[in-house]
Amino acid sequence: MVSLYRTIRSIQRVGLREWWRQMQYIGDAKSGTFVGADQFGNRYFENRNGEEEIPGRHRWVDFAQHNYHASQVPPEWHSWISHIRQDPPTADPVVQNLTPSWQTPWVENMTGTRGAYKPYNTAKPKINAWEPKVTGRA
Amino acid sequence: MSLARARLATRFAPRLFPTARTTSVASTLIARRLISTSPCSHAHHAHAHPTAPPKLESHLEERMKDIEHLQMEGFRGAPQDWEKGPSALDKAVHLFFFTEIIRGMWIVLENFFRPPYTIMYPFEKGPLSPRFRGEHALRRYPSGEERCIACKLCEAICPAQAITIESEAREDGSRKTTKYDIDMTKCIYCGFCQEACPVDAIVETQNQEFSVETREELLYNKEKLLSNGDRAEAEIAANLHADHVYR
Repeated sequence: MVSLYRTIRSIQRVGLREWWRQMQYIGDAKSGTFVGADQFGNRYFENRNGEEEIPGRHRWVDFAQHNYHASQVPPEWHSWISHIRQDPPTADPVVQNLTPSWQTPWVENMTGTRGAYKPYNTAKPKINAWEPKVTGRA
Repeated sequence: MSLARARLATRFAPRLFPTARTTSVASTLIARRLISTSPCSHAHHAHAHPTAPPKLESHLEERMKDIEHLQMEGFRGAPQDWEKGPSALDKAVHLFFFTEIIRGMWIVLENFFRPPYTIMYPFEKGPLSPRFRGEHALRRYPSGEERCIACKLCEAICPAQAITIESEAREDGSRKTTKYDIDMTKCIYCGFCQEACPVDAIVETQNQEFSVETREELLYNKEKLLSNGDRAEAEIAANLHADHVYR
């Protein structure tokens, strides 16, 4: 487990209620600055103090859903939390300028549900069944 | 090869042909050939260069003087004074009370109270590269037109032969794919397809969380790939922008 000092310090900063939520999900008392929230309500935090958070654990997400999954993070925030981009998408002009108008909303991995992807053929079938033509009887 | 054969000839020729007069001629020929073909590292011009570097000297005697006293004692150093060391009783106490094991366990206990290095995965993530090769996606131009021109270069280069493409001319005359299937169970994520693509249509996104429960969900068709690109276009474009200076 982590040190008692670190736990007490985090409780002082984030409060008992938030600490209890962290212990239910992340399983560790963490404290940092609130960076932003995405369209699904996931909240993103950062603590770049090397004394308080080990490098590699300094960015984290607090999922909005109880049944959390890593694919619930939209791609813009995914590139931030995976340390691909330095700035969060709310403050990154590159990501904002390169977002096209036709971008569709992000959908999490729907496997195991009725929304799961089912493959189908996108081309016309090359073999057609024989449809007999019979002239009608007079 | 030729050199060995020449030496053999010089060695055996007098024995085989004792009366032959050609021995001296042959040896001179061989000697001349050896001189002409073998490199000579110590050759220098007759008119010596005035600022030529000094000859290589080892100064072995001067250097050996520094370590003479070490040689005298056989490189063992000064004899140890065993009177000042720990007594046999001390050693026996450490041996029988497992003090070394307890010291090792104390290190384990210390690390038990230190913050762990474990990255708590879905909440925290390890660093990824903008060149990371994950799930595939088909991109569109900023106008919304799909990029793929059905050149089938990706299909040709795919070492796992996971890509299947069929194409037709559209009504406006442009060639587009009617079928773009990737068998993700075959794919080895080598990234050759996105390197072969002349229009940056097929890319591997940074999404690695697309695990599925059934096998058929991994048989991606064109619609699935296009929807992948439509959803993640901002991230794909930003990664390509971050990497464009190295291309």
